[in-house]
Amino acid sequence: MRIIFYNEWRGFLRNKLFLFFISFFIILLFLVTFFGIIQNNKQIKSQKDAHDHIRAQWDEMDPSNPHSAAHFGTYAFKPNSILNSLDEGVNAVTGLVLRLEGHKQNEVAFSEASQSLTVSKFGKFKVSLLFQFIIPLFLIFLAFNIYTSEVSSGRLKLLLIQGNSLQKIVFAKIFSLLSLATILLLFTIIVQFLFNFSNIKLDQIIRLIVFFCSYFIYYFIVISFTVFLSLIFKKSTAALSLTIITWLLWTIFLPKAIGNFIETLTPLSTRIELADKMKEDRSKGIDGHNPFDDRKKDLEKEVLARYEVDSISNLPINFTGILMQADEEYGNKVWDKHYGELYENLEIQKRNYQLSGFINPFASLQSLSMASSGTDLLHHLDFLNSAEVYRRYFIKTLNDEYAFGGSKTGERGWKASNDFFRSIKDFSYKEANFLSILSNYIIDIFSLLFWIVSLVFAINVFSRKELIK
Amino acid sequence: MNLSIFLFEFKHFVRNKAKLFSYICFMMLCVFSIYNGFEIMDKQLNTIAEIKAKQELEYIKVIEWLENKQGPEDKPWINIEDPYWLIRSTPSYVVKNPSALFPLAIGQSEQFGFYKKVTRWSSTYDSDMVEEISNYERLINGNIDFSFLIIFLLPILLIILTYNINGLEKDLNFNKLISIQNNKINYWICNRLLFYLLLLILSVDILILGVGLFNNKFYIIQSLLKIILISNLYIISFSIVFYFINKNARSSSSVAFKMISIWLVLCVIIPGSVHQYVSFKYPVNYMTDFLDVNRKQTYEVFKLDNIDLYDILMEIHPELVQTKKAQEQSLDNQLVRRSISTIINQMNIDAANEIEIQNEEKNNLIKLSYFFNPVSYVQNLWNACTNTDYHSYRNFRLDIEESIINRNKLIIIELWENNKVDKPTYQTYLEVLNHL
Repeated sequence: MRIIFYNEWRGFLRNKLFLFFISFFIILLFLVTFFGIIQNNKQIKSQKDAHDHIRAQWDEMDPSNPHSAAHFGTYAFKPNSILNSLDEGVNAVTGLVLRLEGHKQNEVAFSEASQSLTVSKFGKFKVSLLFQFIIPLFLIFLAFNIYTSEVSSGRLKLLLIQGNSLQKIVFAKIFSLLSLATILLLFTIIVQFLFNFSNIKLDQIIRLIVFFCSYFIYYFIVISFTVFLSLIFKKSTAALSLTIITWLLWTIFLPKAIGNFIETLTPLSTRIELADKMKEDRSKGIDGHNPFDDRKKDLEKEVLARYEVDSISNLPINFTGILMQADEEYGNKVWDKHYGELYENLEIQKRNYQLSGFINPFASLQSLSMASSGTDLLHHLDFLNSAEVYRRYFIKTLNDEYAFGGSKTGERGWKASNDFFRSIKDFSYKEANFLSILSNYIIDIFSLLFWIVSLVFAINVFSRKELIK
Repeated sequence: MNLSIFLFEFKHFVRNKAKLFSYICFMMLCVFSIYNGFEIMDKQLNTIAEIKAKQELEYIKVIEWLENKQGPEDKPWINIEDPYWLIRSTPSYVVKNPSALFPLAIGQSEQFGFYKKVTRWSSTYDSDMVEEISNYERLINGNIDFSFLIIFLLPILLIILTYNINGLEKDLNFNKLISIQNNKINYWICNRLLFYLLLLILSVDILILGVGLFNNKFYIIQSLLKIILISNLYIISFSIVFYFINKNARSSSSVAFKMISIWLVLCVIIPGSVHQYVSFKYPVNYMTDFLDVNRKQTYEVFKLDNIDLYDILMEIHPELVQTKKAQEQSLDNQLVRRSISTIINQMNIDAANEIEIQNEEKNNLIKLSYFFNPVSYVQNLWNACTNTDYHSYRNFRLDIEESIINRNKLIIIELWENNKVDKPTYQTYLEVLNHL
């Protein structure tokens, strides 16, 4: 097997066209990875500048009423992950800026895709574009006649007479091509590592390993599948046509078709439906700004009983702050109910899509590639959840200051000091540790393993049949 | 055109299962994509109908207040004769109706919202302007869209149909026989290719015309013809490139490799590289300037004293000087405070214009790439015909802007003229608020 492997490599190195393409890919990968890192770092800096700019405004705030400050609010800017330069994932279509303020949860806005005309349907020229679309095609073209050429030249018989099994010959050829893909993958990861050295921590190393393994397995599937088709059809052109059609189905058609189908299986509310449902539920709670609200009167009674006084003016605290926080907490419950359901549906859709990996390995690859780069839907939802947790802390701190910071009910002009505003912690989002969320991607891993086992089994069976013939 | 070569190719096409199957699959996909486009369009139209019904109910509610001369029970402070409260209680929505040709290209419609509730505080970059709720991972893969099929997949169908023209003959060493039988080999290749070209053009044109016919919207004939022209020229361009590859064929697999490489370069690599470069040159805008106006500067305006606010207001709306309230000796403080939204709106418009200018610079860079990036050009041209490109949504933002201006203007004019509202006056308000 080793000799066949070496022999294959000798053949590759003698082929000028092959050498041209391999050099071309190495240069391209270097440039794409290098410029991807520069662009990503530029983006990370812009995000940090925007964040610092907004925080500086908060820190410079004059003494103000805490409730006014809650309306003034702040912003959460979605940061790019370090490995965004490998695979941008959903980042081009998700919003980047989220306003955090009292009384309401906003939508994350200003996506990159909405800021210009359409340029590329397949995304930016990132490493993932090369690895997902172009290199597999290159491998298909290298693999489609790797077996049939041996048959037509009569070399196969010679190899068999020498005592090699057909399985060994086929797998040696598959591994020789796979080793080529491995060189390209390793090269990219080394470049990524070298030019991003200061930012890469243990979590990123784990992510890079997952990234490498996903593509390694996928390339094994692509090469084995192509060789398998050539085993069945024996004719190079038929094998090539079918492999190209399969590649098209996997990478272009099925992701769209399955994505659409999954959305019909678990439909999502429209924005207006969701807003109406939330408005209705919200109307059942306390309205902090409506003095005629019945539930407000109940809360008033409760607070008066707690402080053992008979009127709001006798309270040692500011009742308005308590009222605002009660309003906020009710609003949070409403949000948790509706957005919890929405996020759950999105996660169901994601799981269903992951299941499609059993018929389309590209779906599993795409999912693992985005996951390891920290740019998939689950990472985005994690950012939104973190921002919402911060919003709650932020508003509660302001409302508590309003209620218990020294003012009394009715003192609308009361102002909290600048020191207080500065003391409120800043929003800082830390990307989830990959090992802690790995369980979300078990389906992808299993589907890729399923493809490996199936193809190894199928190649073995067909090789045996072929030998008998 | 040589009929015998044409007929020969027709027989070959019908007998070749792989080619016939690919063609039928593609056509079925096209029909499905159009159906899918109609479904998305219907969904949008239903949402718009729901919004209009909801809006109608709001109007009826306000008209009932006017008829009963009593405002809402839970908000007794609302004075129904006061234009300020009545306009505040009357929501208006600006919607972007999908074009009748929407099923032919959903374009960028999934990146933008298509309705907006307008209040006097609204702006064109509010967070409710974002796209409809959707799965982001599905969004990056996109929808099965007719324009996508024609622009990106049809060239691949063309490859499947034509990759063995002149290549197979060389694989089987028949090429010399062909040269003897057909004096002009290039003419023979051209005719064979022409068969597939006409087949595809005819199929695509029938589908495009079918959408116009099904929608019974031939008033958009100009856009329809434009799409036909774009698609036909696009298919012809690819065919010309493929003709030269066929002409210089060495073997069918080398032809397939070259054709696929051309497709990859034109449809994936060039647009991807331009996208990356544009993003490098113009990184994503976090819109801090707009956020500053929307928040910090807005709060600073609130802190201004009423005389300063009055001066700014008169500068923005000089027509107010002639109004009843402006002629009075003393300044009505409440009136000035109620007019602040007009000042903020002007600031928002200025900030939004800055963003539009920045986006336009980015678009200009994209347009500059068109001479070597024809696929993005065709895509945006096509989207423009179906009103689903960036500029169509920019026009939608301009409509929203106009609606916000109208609302604010109506409020201030009515307030500064000290008008009272009754039912007929309210009807005129509705006309202004709804651009009637």
